[in-house]
Amino acid sequence: MSRPIAANLEIRSTGKGDHIACRSCGHALAPAGQPWKRHAILRELSMNGAGGKAYTGAREAILRQFGCPGCGALLDSEMALPGEPFLDDIVRA
Amino acid sequence: MDPITFSIIRHRLFRVVDEAVITLKHVSGSAITNEGHDLMVSLYRADGSLLMGGVGFLHHLTSAAEACKAIIRRFKGQINEGDVYLLNDPYTAALHTSDIYLVAPIHHEGRLVYDIGAMNPGGFSPDSQDIYTEGISSPGLKLVDRGELRQDVLDTLLNMVRNPEMVTLDIRSMIACNNVAADRMLALIRKYGHPTVDEACATLIEQSETLLRARLAELPDGQWQSRQYMDVKGETAKVCLTMTKKGDTLTFDFTGSSPQSRYALNCTRWASLGGLFAPLFPLLCYDITWNEGVIRPITMIAPEGSIVNCTRPAPVSVATVGAIQSVNNAACATIGKMLAASEKYRKEATTVWHANHFAIFMFGRNQRGGQSIGILTETFAGAGGARTFADGVDVGGEIPNPISRMANVETMESIFPLRYLFRRRLTDSGGPGRYRGGLGMEIAITPHDAPDGGLHYVVSGKGAKYSMSEGLGGGYPGAPNRYVWVHNDETGERNADPSFALSLEDMPGRTEDISWGVFPLMGKDALYVAWNGGGGFGDPLERDPEQVQVDVESRFVTREAARSVYGVVTDAGGIVDLAATKRLRAEMRGARMERRAAE
Repeated sequence: MSRPIAANLEIRSTGKGDHIACRSCGHALAPAGQPWKRHAILRELSMNGAGGKAYTGAREAILRQFGCPGCGALLDSEMALPGEPFLDDIVRA
Repeated sequence: MDPITFSIIRHRLFRVVDEAVITLKHVSGSAITNEGHDLMVSLYRADGSLLMGGVGFLHHLTSAAEACKAIIRRFKGQINEGDVYLLNDPYTAALHTSDIYLVAPIHHEGRLVYDIGAMNPGGFSPDSQDIYTEGISSPGLKLVDRGELRQDVLDTLLNMVRNPEMVTLDIRSMIACNNVAADRMLALIRKYGHPTVDEACATLIEQSETLLRARLAELPDGQWQSRQYMDVKGETAKVCLTMTKKGDTLTFDFTGSSPQSRYALNCTRWASLGGLFAPLFPLLCYDITWNEGVIRPITMIAPEGSIVNCTRPAPVSVATVGAIQSVNNAACATIGKMLAASEKYRKEATTVWHANHFAIFMFGRNQRGGQSIGILTETFAGAGGARTFADGVDVGGEIPNPISRMANVETMESIFPLRYLFRRRLTDSGGPGRYRGGLGMEIAITPHDAPDGGLHYVVSGKGAKYSMSEGLGGGYPGAPNRYVWVHNDETGERNADPSFALSLEDMPGRTEDISWGVFPLMGKDALYVAWNGGGGFGDPLERDPEQVQVDVESRFVTREAARSVYGVVTDAGGIVDLAATKRLRAEMRGARMERRAAE
């Protein structure tokens, strides 16, 4: 049993309970209803030039990319200033 | 009530608003109205609650309702048939002082006027440090008494603005708009009777509430977060949002947002409410009538003294392109994430569209010897955000004003003594993703046939340091804005003519990045503006390589970005090398695996 909760995430029911998992490979990230980003692989890159030559002014901001430890699929991204907490999205039901 | 009669009255109410909008546009002489469609006409109930939200800038729908209620309170017992009331105080209801609400006993509407007598011309006043320097600010006055224009009141207003002819036309267009709407409403009431029309209106509000609550109940419970940064003169302010959906209700909590700023990008509580409803109406209520019933299931928490609920006398004249727009962006992002969490509504999800208006008001003596003050309507030419199934629409407009558009180059050149060097889509500006964000644009203008050698402009441009159109599901945000003053000081080797420059790099002269204040556009100077694309959706490494090839061929994406961001290898002729692309993408995915865990 699985149910999508975000573009690249789903809740999978297993014998050990419900988990948030990667939709590409099924890797379990966190218990359902909990923040999952701290269990992902984090890649941070400067926003300056991140998307091409039009991204020239964004020198201070970083682009956080959260990847699946199982398959490397990109699960989510967010722009932030260094030190800002993650944006936590939690689906409860 | 009889469903046929209900449907007829409902559709007639839509048409009343449409006819009023047409009247407004026909009477007004300003490009921002006729071309940009920066207006709003809506119908309200006798208690001031929203009955039929019209198209135009949707931020106004809830604020104008509050304006109606404020007028009802202030003029209780003195409101007569044929009266028209004016209100533009941001601390009472308006978004900023240049939003003039004209409220009549039968219907209500609001729109931007050219100038309101603030410190800077054009209504947006980036140099203002309090509300007292942002022009006329009225919590309510009677402009038309029993059908008679109060010339003393109008003359007082016109005495305080820089462009009284255009402001007169603006105000008269709103009065005409009110008259048409009143005539049509009276005709409707004469045909069906007041009790029937009133019952239909009450039913319409109940229907909207029922439908929205049912939709919310179908969506998963949860919380979604978003964060926006705004940069002004070296200072960064942020808008933080946690949207919580529980049962058939939604709560927007802006706790954590920055304290109110000394700069005019703050917004009042009513403006924040309008900002969050602007994307909510079209994204969650595209098939539901926009009225009070939609407002009831929604709660907003906006800390007092913050940038999203500032206290008097904080300046707010740039609010509509400042904090209000960030509230709008954040709400759009969280609603998009919530929709993406639902199997049923996943296809309705979108990333953030045009996230960063740039309010550039040109002013000075024009080629006919008169004075021109007005906005560059390109600010309305936003980029569409990517959807979960398709790219964003290049220069696709914006969600808060589904009918906005930019004027033709020729229109702008006829209004102002300037010439466009180019106006086109901006390469690499769309947020990368499996589905790419729509492209923003770039323009360059220079003085032309200007009796004073040029003109000046007011720019209120935050967002040059930070991308503001968030992506979704791994998609990148769109590119940030950029504002460049190209100096040609008429001396030495820099005294070259930029007339035939095809890009910023081609332009002679010294470049200076600017974003906030008043600047000259004189002699052979040029102004270059580039603006944000929409957010992307999904992993760029999953984008169809052939689609990337089309992007490169169309100059929507550079070869460099195709390789470094999308992992697509093209040969010298621009043709995709599929084998090399597959290898590169595998390497890039592998590199992701080598990164440290987020915790």
